[in-house]
Amino acid sequence: MAKQLGFYFDASACMGCKTCQVACKDKNDLPVGVNFRRVWQYGNGSWVPSGKLWTPNNVFVYSVSVACNHCEKPSCAEVCPTGALAKRADGLVLVNADQCVGCRYCEWACPYGAPQFNEAKGVMTKCNGCEDLLAQGQNPACVDACPMRALEFGDIAELRAKHGNVNAIEPLPVATLTFPALVIKPHRHAQASGKGMGRIIDLVEEA
Amino acid sequence: MNVREWALITFTILAQMSVGSFIVLGIVHYFTAKKSGEKQADELSDRALLAIGPVLALGMAASLLHLGNPINAYKAVTNLGTSWLSREIFFGVLFAVAGAVFAVMQWKKIATFTVRNVVALVAAIIGVALVYSMSMVYMMPTRPGWNVITTPLSFYVTTLLLGVLAMGAAFVANYWYVQRKNPGCASDQCVLLRDSLRWFGMASIVLLGFQFVLLPLWVALMAGSSSASATMLVGEFGIVFALRLALVFLGAGVLGIFLYRAASSPGQEKVMGAVAYVAFAFVLVGEVLGRFLFYATATHFGLQ
Ligand code: SF4
Ligand code: SF4
Repeated sequence: MAKQLGFYFDASACMGCKTCQVACKDKNDLPVGVNFRRVWQYGNGSWVPSGKLWTPNNVFVYSVSVACNHCEKPSCAEVCPTGALAKRADGLVLVNADQCVGCRYCEWACPYGAPQFNEAKGVMTKCNGCEDLLAQGQNPACVDACPMRALEFGDIAELRAKHGNVNAIEPLPVATLTFPALVIKPHRHAQASGKGMGRIIDLVEEA
Repeated sequence: MNVREWALITFTILAQMSVGSFIVLGIVHYFTAKKSGEKQADELSDRALLAIGPVLALGMAASLLHLGNPINAYKAVTNLGTSWLSREIFFGVLFAVAGAVFAVMQWKKIATFTVRNVVALVAAIIGVALVYSMSMVYMMPTRPGWNVITTPLSFYVTTLLLGVLAMGAAFVANYWYVQRKNPGCASDQCVLLRDSLRWFGMASIVLLGFQFVLLPLWVALMAGSSSASATMLVGEFGIVFALRLALVFLGAGVLGIFLYRAASSPGQEKVMGAVAYVAFAFVLVGEVLGRFLFYATATHFGLQ
């Protein structure tokens, strides 16, 4: 099998601090509105009164940090008319800005919201796995920034051997669309993709 | 809605209108030539043929406005293997070239009638492929409101409906032009014009029938695949949707009947001409609104 790099994310450890998101933003000098890595809060529940007490009713929340999953069947690269978005030999899916025509078709095709348009440059941008750091034998910025050690990056076969095969929990879509190179350690409240009882919360963000 | 989406609306509507016009014109020209000879057929439709090119060119120019980096536009045909967008552009350019070749041959009367017919047929087939790839661009599991069978079907109905009514208007305009040069309505041209407009009136009613099967089907399929889209269509955009239905119904249906009746009785050319223009205007606006709703109600599956 061809080499395939990918991320591991430990949802049971993540506390939703968004340090990874900010480290990515800083490393890649991203404008407002563009975030290659994002942390989603997923949850639900309510409080019900019983006498003078309010008791939680199915209250749960957990966070999922996701960037580009450098998918094994990347729909972004499939639809890209210029070939600007393409899979490299190491499995990374990269945008070549010199080729990109800025049609944003990849944005429609990706189920993870990974390709994000840079208005100022007129081209598509996305997570490149910090390929410059990788070339120096270092980790992507998000991985090293996480205070909970919830992120890892490396050969996806090794990550799977170490952490299992879960690759979709809410709010991520089912994995059969693009076969993401992603391994997740589910949170104890994790809901199966497409069958979740909750919703994305905490959407207000100007970053 | 922003510049980008209006660029896509303009491009898809104009490109489909030119494919439809080309096909409709080809059919009319072929049968008119069989019946009344080539010269009469040419007189009836050659000027209308020349109107198609600019429409397509305008549409393609508009499509550039939705690109963030149009300098690279020429690179957008490099992924024909998997990208429907590449194929759309490829067939778009091919249709423009084939159509232009045919238009020059027809205008200058190069080669025989049969040879020209073959060229026109090839161009028409490319046009059909163009509309197909245009619709496949939107068939993605991540865009559930689009990823339904009504997308390609309604693109074809729009293509033919706009084609029929655009050519109706173009024939009338051409007719008045010929009349001014050579007055007198007893001429063969007048009969031919009435014949074709009767045919256009009928065709538009039939196409309206298809449209009114597809529209509820779209809403039903969309309600299953993307309930948010369906809710938007009847809620937030309810008035636009109602207007879209009313305009197409009035333009293609009610005015289609008027067109048929006016074209059936000699001496009604003035009325017939006015009806043809208004019907085209109504249907054009109705289809533009329809395409607007297609984009405006789109939802995304997964994270966005
Ligand atoms: S996550 Fe999206 S952008 Fe990244 S490879 Fe998969 S489909 Fe492409
Ligand atoms: S925006 Fe750029 S990378 Fe994305 S599909 Fe278009 S050409 Fe390809």
